[in-house]
Amino acid sequence: MARDFNTQGRHEPNVPSNTITYFLKEALRRTWASKRTSFVAVAMIAISLFVLGCFLLLSENLQRAVERWQGHSRVTVYLNSEITPDEQRGVDAFLASHKELASRRFVTKQQALARFRSYFTNLAEVAGNLEENPFPPSYEIELQPGIAQSAGFEALMTGVRRLAGVDQVQFDWEWTRRLRRIIEMLNIIGVAAGGVLAMAAAFTIANVIRLTMMLYHEEIEIMRLVGATERMIRGPFLIEGLLQGTIGGIVAVAVLAAGFFAGQRTLAPSSSLLWGFLFGCFLPWQKIVALILGGTIAGWFGSWLSVHERTEEA
Amino acid sequence: MIHFYHVTKRFDRYSTALHDLTFQIEKGEFVFLTGPSGAGKSTLLKLILRQMTPTEGQVVVNGRNLNTIRRSALPFFRREIGMVFQDFKLIERMTVFENLSFILTVLNVAPREHKRKAYAALRAVDLHHRMNSYPLQLSGGEQQRVAIARALINDPLVLIADEPTGNLDPDMSQDIVRIFNDANLRGSTVLLATHDRDLIRESGRRVITLEHGRISDEKISVGERAPARSDNVFGLAQ
Repeated sequence: MARDFNTQGRHEPNVPSNTITYFLKEALRRTWASKRTSFVAVAMIAISLFVLGCFLLLSENLQRAVERWQGHSRVTVYLNSEITPDEQRGVDAFLASHKELASRRFVTKQQALARFRSYFTNLAEVAGNLEENPFPPSYEIELQPGIAQSAGFEALMTGVRRLAGVDQVQFDWEWTRRLRRIIEMLNIIGVAAGGVLAMAAAFTIANVIRLTMMLYHEEIEIMRLVGATERMIRGPFLIEGLLQGTIGGIVAVAVLAAGFFAGQRTLAPSSSLLWGFLFGCFLPWQKIVALILGGTIAGWFGSWLSVHERTEEA
Repeated sequence: MIHFYHVTKRFDRYSTALHDLTFQIEKGEFVFLTGPSGAGKSTLLKLILRQMTPTEGQVVVNGRNLNTIRRSALPFFRREIGMVFQDFKLIERMTVFENLSFILTVLNVAPREHKRKAYAALRAVDLHHRMNSYPLQLSGGEQQRVAIARALINDPLVLIADEPTGNLDPDMSQDIVRIFNDANLRGSTVLLATHDRDLIRESGRRVITLEHGRISDEKISVGERAPARSDNVFGLAQ
């Protein structure tokens, strides 16, 4: 017996599991059926997230370097190369009399040269050919936490600068302050560039989905006529965009990781300091997940745009 | 079950498909809709499926006014109507089985049931051996039979067919009408639009004749009355 029906008050039920399977199957099939356009969409997402990932990676490594330097706030007091023992004792006594200066370490000319050779291995030969050691002796002074921001610190440094035998006083945190500014800039540029590219990628996906929907126009009409809900019609297209975005995100992270670890293996050992900073560590897992999720969201947003636009037309 | 109240459908100022139609089809009735090409048969069927809305008047199907039905309720309304389209509307990239299985997916039928139901429906139209063929590999008549199987698979409350025997030989046409009769005996209200006067002549069914968008004649055809119920070929009527 045919069933009675009453559509009054009926609501679309939750999507059953076989419908979700259908969405996934259809999305995968359509992605595969239009390989070329899907490839363009995935590539766009991957490129935009790769660019964003590069900025994130750079700022991550610079940030780590800054934190390492800042962990022990340091002042370097460079002495004249021809400093007399009396002058050096005077400097040492002055430094010892100030409790704000937690500890100090005297670095001889020879130690400075040896350190240069170990940091810049590719320049070691150049340093070896020099007739005279160009590196001055110095004091490396560790500061008490927070002392650098105190009012009397500047005066103290001026006092050090005036001591006989002192050539130059260098505060590391001036560099770190500059670096922090650079990192902030990098983050802003990275997010802006990545955001613009991700939007472009989302619109590319929107166009790809729009094309697919035009391709399946008749099928969509049939689906409507046999009673498919809008959710069922839209579902595979939304999943398609979401899949493309996620694949794009995974590809971006994979390429970024491959580039990073290849660079770390080939470049870092030969020229230690600079590359050592830039290839110090890969992105933390949270940022990796965020990048992939960024792709997923961009893909979903792109497909959502076209699906809503097309189904509103219907 | 199906009520038309002063329904007019105008496409533009000079083209009116239906003029002030008023009729009703009771629950469980089997009605033939006939008339020459351009009489308005397809338009009338499209109004019942709510593929279009009337310019004037009201269409009510099973107590539901299709002028005011919510967009979100439309799919559920259509799921209870089996429609055999004149141009079949089969999905070309899907096999015959997949075309039927898709409807069952829409209806949330468990996937394990799909094969059994699809086989039963195709067997009723004698196409069970073409389950894995694609529509374009079938003749026009075979495609039409697949469309009929798809319309019947859900044991619909209302069965509408637009020229379902248009591409079939007389013997097959009689078989198809028998399938519609079975559906009718299981409780489906059937409205069958056809040119085929031979098919109507001896059916003993009510016939509505349209001409220029107006009902020109309404009668019960002579001949046998409604046939006795045959076997439940679909096995879906539990």
